Amino acid sequence: MKQKISTWLKYGTLLSAYGFIGSVLLQIFARFFLANTPPWTEEVARLCFIYATAFAAGLALKQQYFVHLDVLFNKLPASLQRILLVIIPASTLFLFAILGIFAVPFVLRGYQEFSPSMQIRMAFVFFSMLVLGASMSYYAALDLQKAIKNR
Amino acid sequence: MMISVLIVVFIVCLLLRFPIAFALGLSCLAYILVAGIPLVVLPMKMYSGIDVFVLLSVPGFILAGNLMNYGGLTEKIIAFCNRLTGHIRGGLALANIGASMLFAGISGTAVSDTASIGSVMIPAMKKEGYDAGFSCAVTAASSTVGPIIPPSVPMIIAATLSGLSVGKLFLAGAIPGLLLGGGMMVLTYFIARRRQYPKYPKSSFQQIVRSFVDTFWALLMTLIILFGIIGGVFTPTEASIIAVVYALLVGKLVYKRLNLRNVQVIILDSMKTSASLMILIGFANLFGWILITERLPQMISAGILDITHNKYLVLLLINLLLIFVGTFMETIAALLILFPILLKVAVTVGVDPIHFAVIAVLNLIIGLTTPPVGVCLFVASSIGKVSIGEVSKASLSFLLVSLLVLILVTFFPELSLFLPQLFMD
Repeated sequence: MKQKISTWLKYGTLLSAYGFIGSVLLQIFARFFLANTPPWTEEVARLCFIYATAFAAGLALKQQYFVHLDVLFNKLPASLQRILLVIIPASTLFLFAILGIFAVPFVLRGYQEFSPSMQIRMAFVFFSMLVLGASMSYYAALDLQKAIKNR
Repeated sequence: MMISVLIVVFIVCLLLRFPIAFALGLSCLAYILVAGIPLVVLPMKMYSGIDVFVLLSVPGFILAGNLMNYGGLTEKIIAFCNRLTGHIRGGLALANIGASMLFAGISGTAVSDTASIGSVMIPAMKKEGYDAGFSCAVTAASSTVGPIIPPSVPMIIAATLSGLSVGKLFLAGAIPGLLLGGGMMVLTYFIARRRQYPKYPKSSFQQIVRSFVDTFWALLMTLIILFGIIGGVFTPTEASIIAVVYALLVGKLVYKRLNLRNVQVIILDSMKTSASLMILIGFANLFGWILITERLPQMISAGILDITHNKYLVLLLINLLLIFVGTFMETIAALLILFPILLKVAVTVGVDPIHFAVIAVLNLIIGLTTPPVGVCLFVASSIGKVSIGEVSKASLSFLLVSLLVLILVTFFPELSLFLPQLFMD
């Protein structure tokens, strides 16, 4: 299961990244070589970029890409450090679970709205926030599980 | 009163090793819960923070830099700089600074410069008899030149926040960046002479040319990006994607190190770095919205303008505030939160917005090497396996040079405005 989720997120990230690179390239190509530039390239690029962020965020958490400060932490007693190492993923889980849960009404709000050039439902665009919340919550939960085990 | 919840939770989380992005998010969440604001604002503001077309240039530049780096460019840049400066006393340290200035055009972020150049240069310098603390300090300090010399991720963020031209901001950073790098080179030379650091035989013209050819491709990329944007040929986002294609072609056809498999790994790695930045930007957008709701910008503006209306004193106060904040906070986060607030104050007293953007970025970048919590110092010390205390001590003289350049840039706007006015007005 873990491996499957990680693979889906990986391919989601790659496809979205190719999508935004491709649509920006098309925009450049159209401006120089075609009579008209398609009006939707910028929108597709933005959409793919947001989805690439949503997919990659969980993987970034898994591999500790998020910057933090160690200065005070290193001076704390080991017992307190161990407690904090549980509190940090627990709070992260709480934060992104809230983000994911409240992304649902956000998605529903977007059901009646349409994007200006592609005319796709904004619900599909806003759904990226649900993906972001879910992928971050999942890896935060795994971190929490590991931290509790290590205690 | 409620604003104190936001600030206190943020500072406590930051000090207790929470990732900076999550410290921002949790403090916003605490505020939202206390203030009774609907929680749907959390995904809404996260989304609106990252749904900005120009921000697409951030993953683009990160990816282009990683692709070039994978082709062995770091070593080639270092080798070229060493050919140029190796015969001078302390040549390896000078090459370190030179490489940071050249590498600046590729990566655009200071921490990645410290990591990539440091992993090659710090062990090499230690092996040649340089003090470990000095080796780390020179690497960390010189990496701060990167985000000033174009292309620069913090400058793109500053442009996004203020509506200023990215091209103008890129050009505005060029002279201050060169001053910073040049100042560090002069200091390094004097330290090297005093400590009798090694020097090597002079390279022949042929060796220098051969080494330059290897580095040429990297320099060309910087020129394509810069002149593409300045000349109005590309938007910053388009320029970043052109840089990606260029880096792919150079990596495949010139350096012959890229294939489908490692390109995928590099894209994935770059997207993870970019995603961690975007989460930070998303939460900082929410944080900034709360500050505006609480009218904090107006309070800070009024506070500063109550003390003085003198343009230079206002800039001095802002410098002190930004250096202090930059010491504890990640550059992009600090920029996102403080830049719009302070820009308003600076413009009120007659400071040019382009000039102010350079001052703000320079301040926050200097914060990356300000002891005891400068992030670049930590990265360098972990590569050099030296205590942070030793690196901090060795970095103090470099910090003085950076502050001197900051004073020059603050009080002589021409240093920032000359190139944008020459090429773009």
